[in-house]
Amino acid sequence: MAKLTTKNLTKHFGGLVAVQNVSFSISSGEILGIIGPNGAGKTTFINLISGIYMPSSGTIEFEGVDISLMPACERAKIGIARTYQLIHPMEDLNLIENIMVGFLFAGNKSMKEARRLATELCESMGLRDLDREVSQLTMLEVKKMEIAHAMANTPKLLFLDEIMAGLNSDETKEMIALVKRLAKERDLAVGVVEHVMGVIRELTDRVIVLESGEIIAEGPYETVSKDKRVIEAYLGGTA
Amino acid sequence: MKRATSYILPVALVALGVLFPLFFGPYPQTVARTIFKYMALALTWDMLFRSGQVSFGIAGFFGLGTYAAALLALKAGFSYPLAILAGALISGIFAYILGFLVLRLRGTYFSITTLALAEIFRVILRNWTSFSGGPEGIVLPQIIFNGDSRCLYWIGLAVLLVVVVVSQYFEKSKLHFSLISIRDNEVSAQTSGVNIFRTLLVVFTVTSFLQGLIGAVDVVSVGYAMPDSAFDSNYTLLPLAMALLGGQHSTWGPIIGSVLLGVASEYLKLKIPYGHLLVYGVIIILVILFMPEGLIGLFRKKKGAKRG
Ligand SMILES: Nc1ncnc2c1ncn2[C@@H]1O[C@H](COP(=O)(O)OP(=O)(O)O)[C@@H](O)[C@H]1O
Ligand SMILES: [Mg+2]
Repeated sequence: MAKLTTKNLTKHFGGLVAVQNVSFSISSGEILGIIGPNGAGKTTFINLISGIYMPSSGTIEFEGVDISLMPACERAKIGIARTYQLIHPMEDLNLIENIMVGFLFAGNKSMKEARRLATELCESMGLRDLDREVSQLTMLEVKKMEIAHAMANTPKLLFLDEIMAGLNSDETKEMIALVKRLAKERDLAVGVVEHVMGVIRELTDRVIVLESGEIIAEGPYETVSKDKRVIEAYLGGTA
Repeated sequence: MKRATSYILPVALVALGVLFPLFFGPYPQTVARTIFKYMALALTWDMLFRSGQVSFGIAGFFGLGTYAAALLALKAGFSYPLAILAGALISGIFAYILGFLVLRLRGTYFSITTLALAEIFRVILRNWTSFSGGPEGIVLPQIIFNGDSRCLYWIGLAVLLVVVVVSQYFEKSKLHFSLISIRDNEVSAQTSGVNIFRTLLVVFTVTSFLQGLIGAVDVVSVGYAMPDSAFDSNYTLLPLAMALLGGQHSTWGPIIGSVLLGVASEYLKLKIPYGHLLVYGVIIILVILFMPEGLIGLFRKKKGAKRG
């Protein structure tokens, strides 16, 4: 059964339509790719699902419940998590403390329990020296921290917004394996926004393509990548 | 072992504080009492500032506590202990209600609005003469403890200790995390489950309750209240300067800052009456420009450098 379903989801910013009539669904254990040129509305779509923006129209259903107008902090508690394209960790908290936040508030755990769970999570993701300041982390560690930060919500649905950007090919491989493992171990529904097609091909079971806020194609990567409209959208976007 | 040693300094300081009046006379006691009052206010200001919100409304909630306690004692015949508690509660309740308006605001808008609130309280109490005694204010029939300077000192110290304990609770509990995450990144705080508005409402209410408590204890210790003294902008300016000088976002910072500035201002007041205000202004500017982390920050940096 679908974890998350949107119906005609639309978001305007003044006269600009950032997301238009997007209807889709995603199931547990599924990794869905979301691609499209810059400005297509991918990040806005994630903002709508995580509750940063409220939709102009349309609905969002999570586990059969309409959450269209639910505040972001409540969505975190029922199992929705996301990473940010522009990663901006809490500078005044160290690595482990950053990860504790989700356990403390989305999970409503005690301080002691949150520290234990955060340590466990970090170790399972290969993060070490957990008392370091975030400014001391490498790029790969920052990316892992961003995923761990989201995983601290103990989500059932996870959206990753260009998490691979800035990583070299070995690091990207490691991250692909990590995301696959997390999705499988925890039966997550995962939405992945990426620009690198290799990543989408390796990682995803299915892809939706956005252009100017609308879905223009949907299906397995192999079919979508041969779709004429998709090829045009990408060439149009770079021209 | 490390835990045990970390208690030695606070326990020693509290013991010194309690025993102080046995060795020093009324004048030093009064100076210390004034410093405690500002220290407590500086801590309450910092507690909200840990979320990144800069309140200019300290004098407003301090003055509300002052007037509520004084009026209830005078007009409703409340005993002083009861009047003190009621003063604090009324201040807290006002903050809770006003919080729904002001806590949606951020940055300068929040600061200016809290400043305006304090000014509105002052103007109302100044002009509603039949209720509040107008500009001349109100005089209480007697000072609490019949004005015994040691008892006045101890009650001031007791209020300070309450505030210190609350501040430490903020530092050691989940609030530490929610406040920092609101300050550092509100958007990501929300998607980690932090209810921003509710957290700020709790902190605004608690700190205003404490400011009201400080004001209420102050009024029964001096025996009178006037709008221009209860809502004196010094109650906003000085605690802010003290917290910034000592070091923001901590319990120790405002404590250290208020001892230094408190002692300095006592000296300056004698040397250059009114000139001391200028000194506070200059200190705020210098600290913000050259020492944004305050005195505590110098220490923190050293620690960080050693670690790194
Ligand atoms: N908060 C906002 N206010 C106004 N316009 C916005 C806002 N957020 C996004 N947009 C606009 O919406 C469109 C989609 O942006 P975005 O979702 O970030 O695209 P993508 O992530 O696919 O690159 C862009 O035209 C962008 O400028
Ligand atoms: Mg984007």
